[in-house]
Amino acid sequence: MLEKTGVPTPEQVDSIFPTEERLSQGPIAIIECFQPIPCDPCATSCPQGAIAPFMDINDLPIINNKKCNGCGICIMKCPGLAIIVLDMTYSETQALIRLPYEFSPLPQIGEIVLALDRSGAKVAEAEVIRVTKGKPPIISIAVDKALVKTLRNIRPQPSEAAILCRCSDLNTDDIREFIAQGHTTVDAIKRLSRLGMGPCQGRTCTPLIIRELATVLSKPVESFQPGTYRPVVKSIKLGELAEYTE
Amino acid sequence: MNRTADYVIIGGGISGAAIGYFLLKNGAKNVVILERNYLTAGATGRCGAGIRQQWGSEMNCLLTQFSCNFFENAEEELGYPEGIEFHQGGYMLLVSNEDELAQTKKNIALQNSLGIESQLLDVNQAKVLTPILDTGNILAAAYHSKDGHLNPFKTTQAFADAFIRMGGNIYTNTAVHGLKTENGRICGVDTSQGHIATDCVINTAGGHTNIIAALVGEEIPIYAERHNILVTEPVEPILSTMVMSLSLNFYCQQVPHGSFVMGRSCTNQPRDLRVTADSSFPENMAATVVKIMPALKNIRMLRQWAGLYDMSPDKHPIYDRFPNVEGFYVAAGFSGHGFMLGPATGQIMAEQILGLEPTLPWNRLGLSRFETGEMILESSVV
Ligand SMILES: Cc1cc2nc3c(=O)[nH]c(=O)nc-3n(C[C@H](O)[C@H](O)[C@H](O)COP(=O)(O)OP(=O)(O)OC[C@H]3O[C@@H](n4cnc5c(N)ncnc54)[C@H](O)[C@@H]3O)c2cc1C
Ligand code: SF4
Ligand code: SF4
Repeated sequence: MLEKTGVPTPEQVDSIFPTEERLSQGPIAIIECFQPIPCDPCATSCPQGAIAPFMDINDLPIINNKKCNGCGICIMKCPGLAIIVLDMTYSETQALIRLPYEFSPLPQIGEIVLALDRSGAKVAEAEVIRVTKGKPPIISIAVDKALVKTLRNIRPQPSEAAILCRCSDLNTDDIREFIAQGHTTVDAIKRLSRLGMGPCQGRTCTPLIIRELATVLSKPVESFQPGTYRPVVKSIKLGELAEYTE
Repeated sequence: MNRTADYVIIGGGISGAAIGYFLLKNGAKNVVILERNYLTAGATGRCGAGIRQQWGSEMNCLLTQFSCNFFENAEEELGYPEGIEFHQGGYMLLVSNEDELAQTKKNIALQNSLGIESQLLDVNQAKVLTPILDTGNILAAAYHSKDGHLNPFKTTQAFADAFIRMGGNIYTNTAVHGLKTENGRICGVDTSQGHIATDCVINTAGGHTNIIAALVGEEIPIYAERHNILVTEPVEPILSTMVMSLSLNFYCQQVPHGSFVMGRSCTNQPRDLRVTADSSFPENMAATVVKIMPALKNIRMLRQWAGLYDMSPDKHPIYDRFPNVEGFYVAAGFSGHGFMLGPATGQIMAEQILGLEPTLPWNRLGLSRFETGEMILESSVV
């Protein structure tokens, strides 16, 4: 299951979930790391020594529930975004989950966001309590205590307009306006809007815009040409280029 | 698709779009533009779109003066509220040696005599207007505050939209592969979408002009030469002026979007209509521009591309009728500055074709000048 979907089984989750007793004593890290991979920053980063030193770099982390004070330092160190901190003492009815969040823009404190399960499906809504900048940023959300085993990510409330081209910041509303003006090919929209001219050179946005064109114009997706295809861009400083001469 | 037309324009660049617009504006009917690809697929969509009235020949000054005045009011005249991004942040031509200084002084005197208020700046004045300039490389700069740059895609679209509103038809993805004549007179165009009967054809196919001319055995003295250009990531505005130097061989601008666009002439460029990129260009371009504006060294290049200059022997455009074929006109030979000539091109061709009173001295821009030797010299082309 984990290998194919990226989602652990309920048994796997139970196997590392802290006891009721420990949860009632305050915040604690929960590490959902189930695949032996050569990675150990969690173990070396914990100032409390709460994660047992690895004998082998492929070891899975084992957390000492007594030593962990829920500081959350390990959340930022884990490249797999496998760690959250759960605080069941947050309030009578709600728990606080601190989770790593790698998307931009960051939510605002007080914002009501969608709370997602491990597969990314929407399960509930949650209030953003804290936003800690860092790499990655950490978002604290207040959630119903009954859902603490389920919720592991968040997403902003969907806006009407979805982003189509991230490089040039164009959304479905922008593109529909171009289509309404009579620009009905990828190239025609590209040269007026800069869609597809950023670092991805159309890798992200071309299929999306074709789908948008097909929907709006009620034509099959195959009837649209993708436009000029160029390799993905790795930008390079002019100063570095300049050094190549003479 | 139209099966007949009074006027067929070949080429959907700035020239074709502007000629179409000025024909309709001056009373012509049933005008068609044919473009084998999409609008601006040629040099127009590949150019720097720098706009300046600072030229070394009276002719180029007059043509660009006409165009600049047009661009200033284009949004209203063409009814294009989106805007053509005409950024009149001034155009600075750097002077870096004594010969260039002498020529620049002459040019400025000429420009001033025509009402173009260009001026010579000392290095300190240049630095005030272009703070990122390393003035160690220059002696002075010529400057005109009303010059600048604009967005070639939007400008062409503005002409095209107005053209369509006035009843014109544009066929994209429609390539011309044959011209029909009868008794020395044009009578039709064969395209990938079928035949159009017409007795007037205007050839504005840019670098491909002579391929179209050859369809009826004609040729004009131009060749297509590849020119390279690059764009960087967008950054905060740090450069308002367009900066160019003939002797240092470059032009550079920051477009309103924030990207830097820059180009230079490279040696040994193919003349076989290729628009592939030259791998040595980015390095030489970067070295040139970083030396003159060191702040640019930390800005990242995104990509490069190339387009064709349609070069004429005297670097002035050719506006004429093909001598051996009635009803067959040409507007080409723009020599790397045909974008800014667009409005003048439209006006002049409409006057020629419709037999109107000339507002610009285009009688000197015909093909006969290459036979009589009455060419007009221009020094200021990168
Ligand atoms: C790198 C570069 C930088 C430049 N910088 C500037 C600048 O800063 N300022 C400036 O004023 N000018 C600049 N220019 C010059 C300017 O781009 C051109 O002079 C101008 O765009 C010419 O426009 P056009 O409409 O005549 O030709 P084009 O834009 O080339 O249009 C010709 C059209 O004809 C079409 N065509 C060709 N064959 C056929 C066929 N068989 N059937 C149908 N259609 C056909 C082509 O697809 C093309 O779209 C630059 C050019 C380049 C390449
Ligand atoms: S939350 Fe803090 S104390 Fe607990 S394991 Fe992570 S780093 Fe160690
Ligand atoms: S850092 Fe994350 S992925 Fe790596 S071993 Fe620790 S918990 Fe697992």
